[in-house]
Amino acid sequence: MGLLISQFVAATMKPSIDIQSVHKSFGSKVAVRDLTLSVPPGELFAFLGPNGAGKTTTIKMICGLLHPQRGTIDVCGHRMGINGLAGKAKLAYVPDQPFLYDKLTGREFLSFVGEMYRIASDVQHRVINELTEQLDMGDFLNNLTETYSHGMKQKVVLSAALLHDPEVLIIDEPMVGLDPRTVRVVKDLFRARVREGRTVFMSTHTLGVAEAVADRIGIINQGEVIALGTMDDLRSQAASEHSLEDIFLQLTHPEAETDRGGLSEAG
Amino acid sequence: MSPSSDTHSPPTLAPIGLASLLRIKWVAIRNRLHQAIVNSPIKFLSTIVLLGVVWAGLYGLFMAVFIFLKQSRMEAAIAIPMVFSFFFVAMLVMLTISNAIIAYTSLFAVEEAAYLLSAPVPAKAYVSLKYVETLIFSSWSLVLLGLPLMFAMASVNEGAGQYYHIFFISFFISFVPIPGAAGLVLAWVIARFFDRNVRRRIILVASFLLVFALVWAVQSMTVNEHKPNEWLTGFLLRLRFAQSTLLPSTWVVRGVEAAIDWRTSEAFAYLCVTVANALFLSWVAVALVAKNFMSAFDHALSSRGGERSTPAAPALGRAGKVFFYLPTHQRLIATKDLRTFFRDPIQWTQLVVLFGLMGLYLMNIPRFSGANPLEGWGMVIPFLNFGAITFILATFTSRFVFPLVSLEGQQLWLIGMLPLSTWQILIAKFAFAMTVSTFVTISTTLLAVIMLKMPLSWAVLQVVMTLATCVGLCGCAVGIGARLPMFDQRNAARIANGFGGTVNLIASVALVLTLLFGMGAVGYHNRSMGFEGSLDGATLLLAGAMVFVAVCAGWAALAMGARHLRRVEI
Repeated sequence: MGLLISQFVAATMKPSIDIQSVHKSFGSKVAVRDLTLSVPPGELFAFLGPNGAGKTTTIKMICGLLHPQRGTIDVCGHRMGINGLAGKAKLAYVPDQPFLYDKLTGREFLSFVGEMYRIASDVQHRVINELTEQLDMGDFLNNLTETYSHGMKQKVVLSAALLHDPEVLIIDEPMVGLDPRTVRVVKDLFRARVREGRTVFMSTHTLGVAEAVADRIGIINQGEVIALGTMDDLRSQAASEHSLEDIFLQLTHPEAETDRGGLSEAG
Repeated sequence: MSPSSDTHSPPTLAPIGLASLLRIKWVAIRNRLHQAIVNSPIKFLSTIVLLGVVWAGLYGLFMAVFIFLKQSRMEAAIAIPMVFSFFFVAMLVMLTISNAIIAYTSLFAVEEAAYLLSAPVPAKAYVSLKYVETLIFSSWSLVLLGLPLMFAMASVNEGAGQYYHIFFISFFISFVPIPGAAGLVLAWVIARFFDRNVRRRIILVASFLLVFALVWAVQSMTVNEHKPNEWLTGFLLRLRFAQSTLLPSTWVVRGVEAAIDWRTSEAFAYLCVTVANALFLSWVAVALVAKNFMSAFDHALSSRGGERSTPAAPALGRAGKVFFYLPTHQRLIATKDLRTFFRDPIQWTQLVVLFGLMGLYLMNIPRFSGANPLEGWGMVIPFLNFGAITFILATFTSRFVFPLVSLEGQQLWLIGMLPLSTWQILIAKFAFAMTVSTFVTISTTLLAVIMLKMPLSWAVLQVVMTLATCVGLCGCAVGIGARLPMFDQRNAARIANGFGGTVNLIASVALVLTLLFGMGAVGYHNRSMGFEGSLDGATLLLAGAMVFVAVCAGWAALAMGARHLRRVEI
């Protein structure tokens, strides 16, 4: 019953991310072709695709860093581009290459982000402490970020993204460089946010994570969405009962998969 | 559960301002200073001392120029204002270009931009921050050059007005934003309207325009030895544009002159004009760029994807044949560096422009020198040519050769796994640097000796000395680059401007000065002995000693670098 109610609420609410007929090309190369996609509140959406398929371009357009040549993108009802700042205040973006100021400590960076989102200092302090404990950052948070490993940077950037409790969290390759314990913590964090009605839009190559935590999965290839839906939807679309990895390869490299199947049978 | 979701207040829409961004930059600078003082006090002190040495050297140089000019009252009346006008006109042009380059890289080519602009940071706050950063980065050279100029001017003009120093500093500060604003708009225009391939063409066209402008300047300065007074009048008439009242540089020059002559109210009036224009232009530039920033940012990012693909070349190919004398693994490294060099227009265009200008100057030699190459100025000109060529080479090796080892920081695992010793790796880098620098310097030297119609023995001496200088400078740049690397830095300009780069620059200048001193001694000895064309034993001995010094300097730096690199953990 609860699930039905939440599905009904999701269907009637404004989508957190609403992409309508978006097109983007770089010179002669089409990066995103006529993309239409809606992600409602309370959903964890996994965006998959081979390298160069258009995932990061789509993400950058959602964040307002790139502008679509055609089509529109709304974040929580705010049109990106026209009223970009209002939309940006509702979202947080974690790029695949975590950005930190080298000569700041992790704590100073988090305070800066807190100030950027106008979070009261007492709330900032409390949330930073909670995140420090959850993501096990206590040992290094007061060191300059230039001394951090990739995983440490990822933890700080993730904390910075969660600090202002964004309605939409957009994250590019969230698990790269994280240890297994932190991967578990991050997955739990994502699911918790979704339960609270927040949206997580995750681009990843770690298909196991996508399969485990995503409510819906979209697969993009050569700028076009070629599959969209729950795991069951994808299985029926690919006419396969196998794992997401098999479905993904079948949809994105059908010839190679046919050859591989042939070889396996021959073998 | 996500952190504090129960008590968390939603973010307000009040956007972050410039003050918050500047505050975080200040925290970063404070941390950097603290780190430098606590972790590497000797390095920090050495940097301060080196800067002091450069500053004192410049002060001495300006003093010498002003005293020389003041020896004749008439010349001083004409030349000193002209020196000032030229200084500030040159600064106006150079600061506009450097501001445009720095503004472009800091506005459109950094991860910071993507991070801040995906947050609710208004474009105006971001553009203002980068404008302030650009002004600081681009104008430190003006301060480095300007302060000794100011003090030298005050020392020469003992009766300068009491507010002279305050006026001078105020003029400097108010002058800097004018080319800064022009540079900011220029960077935005390039990002907004030109794709990357076109930007490369613009660099080329700008380089050629610069060369043509300097051809004109060289021809303007060409002396007709039979009518020197006519030349001076014509020369000054041609350069009157530098004193146009519409140029900001003229307001500064006239204001400083007024401050020197105790005309305080006039100086203040010029200062007000400069400040008003600086504020107005800054406001217009920031408002214009901020309003249209996101479209330019989008275009700058988008145009990178549309680049033409570079045809794949075999690992060695034609470029590899240049290093035929190296074993295969070293040849691979040197070939890779050569390809990188030719695929980066910033590197080779600067080299072409510098040595192109040198070539143009050399082609004008007959007009300067007169008929006999070893009489009068004829003895001085080869010495000056050698000095110019080696100083330009020192600039090139400091800017482009020194960072070579540091730039391998991200690929050290690959280079380190090759079956090569660190010495062999450095020799490969050295071979690349030698190939490029030998090609340009020997070509230029040969042009010089041909234009001067020098006797064969002198020509050989010039070529050998130039070659020895190449060995010394390339060895120093590669060796010191390996001894004081910045493996975590990907920006070659920052590597060159760091502590190691400064040490290398000082070492290179010291080496060039030593060799110049030797060349000067050779010239003086031969002139006093009345030799014309032949080289005596003392000359050969001195030349041999200089070659020895240059080769030893290069070898010692390479050995020191190789020893240090062996200890680096990859």
